[in-house]
Amino acid sequence: MRAFLYGLLVACLVLVGCAGGGSKGDTIKIGWFGPQTGDSALWGQAELNTVKMMADDYNAAGGIKVGSKTYKVEIVGYDDKGDSTEAVNVAKRLTSQDKVVAVVGAQGSGEAIPVAPIFNEAKVPLVASTATNPKVTVTESGSVNPYMFRACFIDPYQGKVAAYFAYQKLAKRNAAIFMTIDDPYSTGLAQYFKENFEKLGGKVVAQESYTSGEKDFRAPLTKIKAAKPDVIFVPAYYNDVGPAAAQARQLGINQLLLGGDGWPSENLITLAGGPGAALEGCLFVNHLDMLGDTAKPMRDEYKAKYDKNAELNSYMVHDALLMVVDAMQRAKSIKSEDIQKALSTCDIQGITGHIKIGPNHDPVGKTAWLIKVSGPDMKLQESFAAED
Amino acid sequence: MAQFLQQLVNGISIGSIYALMAVGYSLVYSIMNFSNFAHGSVIMLGAYFGYFCLTLLGLPFGLAFFLAACGTALVAVVIERLAYKPLRDRKAPFLYFIITAMGMSIFIDNGVIATIGPTPKIFPLARLPEFIRGGTIKLGVVEVGRVDVAMFVITVICLVALIFFIDYTRVGKAIQATAYNMKASALMGINTSFIIILVFAIGGALAGVAGVLYGIKYQVYPQMSGITMKSFIAAVFGGLGSLPGALLGSLLLALIETFVSGYLSTQLRDIFSFLILIAMLVIRPSGIMGKSMEDKA
Repeated sequence: MRAFLYGLLVACLVLVGCAGGGSKGDTIKIGWFGPQTGDSALWGQAELNTVKMMADDYNAAGGIKVGSKTYKVEIVGYDDKGDSTEAVNVAKRLTSQDKVVAVVGAQGSGEAIPVAPIFNEAKVPLVASTATNPKVTVTESGSVNPYMFRACFIDPYQGKVAAYFAYQKLAKRNAAIFMTIDDPYSTGLAQYFKENFEKLGGKVVAQESYTSGEKDFRAPLTKIKAAKPDVIFVPAYYNDVGPAAAQARQLGINQLLLGGDGWPSENLITLAGGPGAALEGCLFVNHLDMLGDTAKPMRDEYKAKYDKNAELNSYMVHDALLMVVDAMQRAKSIKSEDIQKALSTCDIQGITGHIKIGPNHDPVGKTAWLIKVSGPDMKLQESFAAED
Repeated sequence: MAQFLQQLVNGISIGSIYALMAVGYSLVYSIMNFSNFAHGSVIMLGAYFGYFCLTLLGLPFGLAFFLAACGTALVAVVIERLAYKPLRDRKAPFLYFIITAMGMSIFIDNGVIATIGPTPKIFPLARLPEFIRGGTIKLGVVEVGRVDVAMFVITVICLVALIFFIDYTRVGKAIQATAYNMKASALMGINTSFIIILVFAIGGALAGVAGVLYGIKYQVYPQMSGITMKSFIAAVFGGLGSLPGALLGSLLLALIETFVSGYLSTQLRDIFSFLILIAMLVIRPSGIMGKSMEDKA
């Protein structure tokens, strides 16, 4: 019996060993990581679905032509649970064990910032989809992370657009900020909004916060109510924004809510109590007009394949993968170092706009879109082309 | 003043949720002397049961509510039989129970994520009766959610019924006796095995009630058991094993939390609630109304 069990154990180990080490000659492995479980899993799942869909499309067309050779694409995807520690683990696994040539994903700044040293050391490029905090590509001391890139604009720009819109277009003068205290995305965006709003001449009358995972926001919201703002900026994710908006209305806070790219989601309006309820007429800054014509082919293909609507992250990770493929083709190489060099001179047209990578490895001059919640839809209100 | 009253109402409404959850911890602790950390996951399952009874099966709200409570009572008993009874039979140290309970909790939470999925669900408002639907009642300067009023009332009814059951019925007396000394009670002819099942069933049914109400008020999502940690703290604060203690601890904890975040800052809130837990364990390990001085964990 014991011998049998040992035999079984050895057999298992051999099988696992084979499964892990198999690398076929004409296949490129591209890594992805993001939340498959946890609070932001909806976005992570949309991303993985998208990259898999794209890989299927590439492979159905025969593969990706790099130089004179054609390669099939294989996506290696891991769940980081939206947790920074877990993100570090899977980043290590992708670079050292799976030996992927490049990685896309890392949607949250909270996960993308701590993995930067790993990618720099492993010399594997990462193209983040929606990690908008400046520190993702530029370290605290001001040096650029050589292997970190992204497909999205960054928070200082987003905060500026929101502040400009609130002050100039809506003529609001007293803003309150309601943010997630333990999330660098939220605190960063809040700070950029505040700086720009005050520079324009506005006043931030209250700045309240909550910890992620919380569901009852009434205590800090009651405090905001007492400060009597005329607009409330909520740089948070949709799964908190929806309930927070509903609770705010319940407390008799009827001011307009303004937000960033954490808002757009299939579930935002449902969570706020349905169409026409708490979020009606509220506005947020987005990376693209998800109902627009540019997004249509991908929106339809995604819907046909998964019977779900594509999320913002679908479009963003689409462009991130497009950047990687373009870099490979221009470098005529599937070596990570060559892809990195080509990525720093990236200049392509994606679904979410023109992506030209600047010296800080961020796209420069991307347009920001202001979207309004109206009924069951999120309609384009105004677009802001970057002027500086 | 308006802000103070509003925060008071906010605090009481959070406190009544904590209380419903905390009672489950206290009840099991009083009999088994360990903290049933799987309780939070049972609460989460209750919310899902209620949600699916209402949406998939299309049952009326009252029936869905009742079935959710029955469902979680059953789940709690099954967990007891599968996970805790084998340990009890082997007279395992109490630490093993806690580890098993945590394991069960992780198992259930991830089971739900893997099968139902992580996307939060919202109770369909149109299918809920008038008194529990959204909207607020304005009392002077204070806005009180209808859900909050309903929750407070249901919590009080459940707790009063439970205290009456335990203090004034024969079975309740048997539960008290078993809590006091299980061996002696067994020798006096009390079927302690039945009492244990009963306690888990009651705790489970309350978890179902708490889960449905919590789901209506906020959302239904797999990580719900994380929030129930607070109600566990409330139970310890009030005195694990004491039902009035659980109620008092819950209300006090929620009020302290609300006022700290309302008048100081939200960042300090959790520091305060955990400081209270630690201070309580150091100064008075049995909590405000706890009776015994045994290990708390």
